[in-house]
Amino acid sequence: MALTRVTLEDFTVFDCLDLELSPGINALVGANGTGKTHLMKVCYAACDISRTRSRFAAKLIEDFLPSDRFFGKLVNRAKGDEGSGKATAQVFRDEMEVNVSFSPESHSGRSARERGMRDWTKAPVESVYIPVKEMLANAPGFRSLYARRDIHFEGVYEDILDRAYLPPLRGPLNPPMKCLLAKLEEAMGGEVTTKDEEFFLSTKQGAFEFTLLAEGLRKLGLLWLLIQNGALSDGSILFWDEPETNLNPKLYGVLMDVLLELQRNGVQVFFATHDYVILKELDLRKTSDDQVAFHSLYRTEEGGIACDTADSYLGIHPNAIAEAFSNIYDREIERSLKGISQ
Amino acid sequence: MTVMVEGDLRVEFRNVTGVRKFDGDDHGLSHCMKAVDFIVELPERYLFIEFKDPQNPRGRGENRQGFIDGFLRGELDFDLKYKYRDSLLYEWASGRADKPIEYLVLIAADTLTEAELSNRTDALKREIPLEGPKGNSWTRPIVSGCAVFNIDSWNRVFSEYPVRRLSS
Repeated sequence: MALTRVTLEDFTVFDCLDLELSPGINALVGANGTGKTHLMKVCYAACDISRTRSRFAAKLIEDFLPSDRFFGKLVNRAKGDEGSGKATAQVFRDEMEVNVSFSPESHSGRSARERGMRDWTKAPVESVYIPVKEMLANAPGFRSLYARRDIHFEGVYEDILDRAYLPPLRGPLNPPMKCLLAKLEEAMGGEVTTKDEEFFLSTKQGAFEFTLLAEGLRKLGLLWLLIQNGALSDGSILFWDEPETNLNPKLYGVLMDVLLELQRNGVQVFFATHDYVILKELDLRKTSDDQVAFHSLYRTEEGGIACDTADSYLGIHPNAIAEAFSNIYDREIERSLKGISQ
Repeated sequence: MTVMVEGDLRVEFRNVTGVRKFDGDDHGLSHCMKAVDFIVELPERYLFIEFKDPQNPRGRGENRQGFIDGFLRGELDFDLKYKYRDSLLYEWASGRADKPIEYLVLIAADTLTEAELSNRTDALKREIPLEGPKGNSWTRPIVSGCAVFNIDSWNRVFSEYPVRRLSS
């Protein structure tokens, strides 16, 4: 069951956000500091605890990693005395809801008030969060290090390796997913294999360690693994922070085709991006049957964060990416026409 | 003020030395030379202007999107390049290409983003081309500047040459 709505009150950069979610693809755009990653992490934490039955607060601390793991630091600090004094995060799947509220004094999260866990965990959802930094190349030994030492990595980095190391599904994949794997194999020039926790790209020329591969190819390799082992399958939810990072723009089309096809096969998708080509590729490749929402997060004049949702690229407003291009275009015209503009 | 009409588009030219409809019957060589729509003379330069109107309400919807897709793929660059070069040659042979020339292309499609316009402007500069060969053996450029606009960006840049749709 897909996420349908999220509300955040005085949580990190948000003062009051109530966002309806698409059951298909949710593209998050906005300038730096408008909360795109935070929004995805809250949603991901809610999904993950439905399966692990961990406390919502504990998972938020793990994934946001506030200083000293002090949960109360996730209360909106900009509000000062004007705020309600506590933060609330609510995530919905239709009528089902899980929420957590906590005060700035809440240290470990034990004093946080949580509701809805009982019903929420009755319907566990598989979810994957792909963080900005690629981890597969540095995977060997990371999970045991993370488990035994207090290293400063958000929980999403351990989680993504857990998902990547899942063995292949028993039995054949359904035909659409097999097609997706073939598309990724064509783009990568091979398929991914694992040996002693180390990932390789196996091609006709031999097996190449992930450390020797371009980071963009590693990203496609990760996607291949997640489809092959069923972590991404009907009913699961994918969160991807800046999928464009280190990927050549020529591969953006392949990437958007894969995300659209995952959506057509029942995977709900969230991604945050700063990239014009990513958004245009999505806009140009989606069909009228695809469910795609473009959420534009922006800072209001009062300093809060608001969100406007559109169903096409041209409807995105405000559009920080388009504004940057407008600025470039205006300067380009000025230079090209050497002052004849009026 | 001079008013010119090209299909569904109406443009006013204020404070200019002269305006000619260039690709009309007077051209006389349309069987072998391409031509821009208008030539505007200013005191210190000429403007060669080409209008394309894929959103003309009298046009057909499927042609409209096909035109825009083709434009974004660069399929119009060839036509735009030769319209400029042939017009320049024609004017040179007429003894009139005596001032710097700017080439302005208006694609009247409101779906075009400024990123796309910027990209096509760069492509047009490469195609004409704006710059001569390495080593700079050219003593004068064949075009002083060029740019691609939609109606919004045109009206923002050229307040004295406003364009509007007749049908709106």
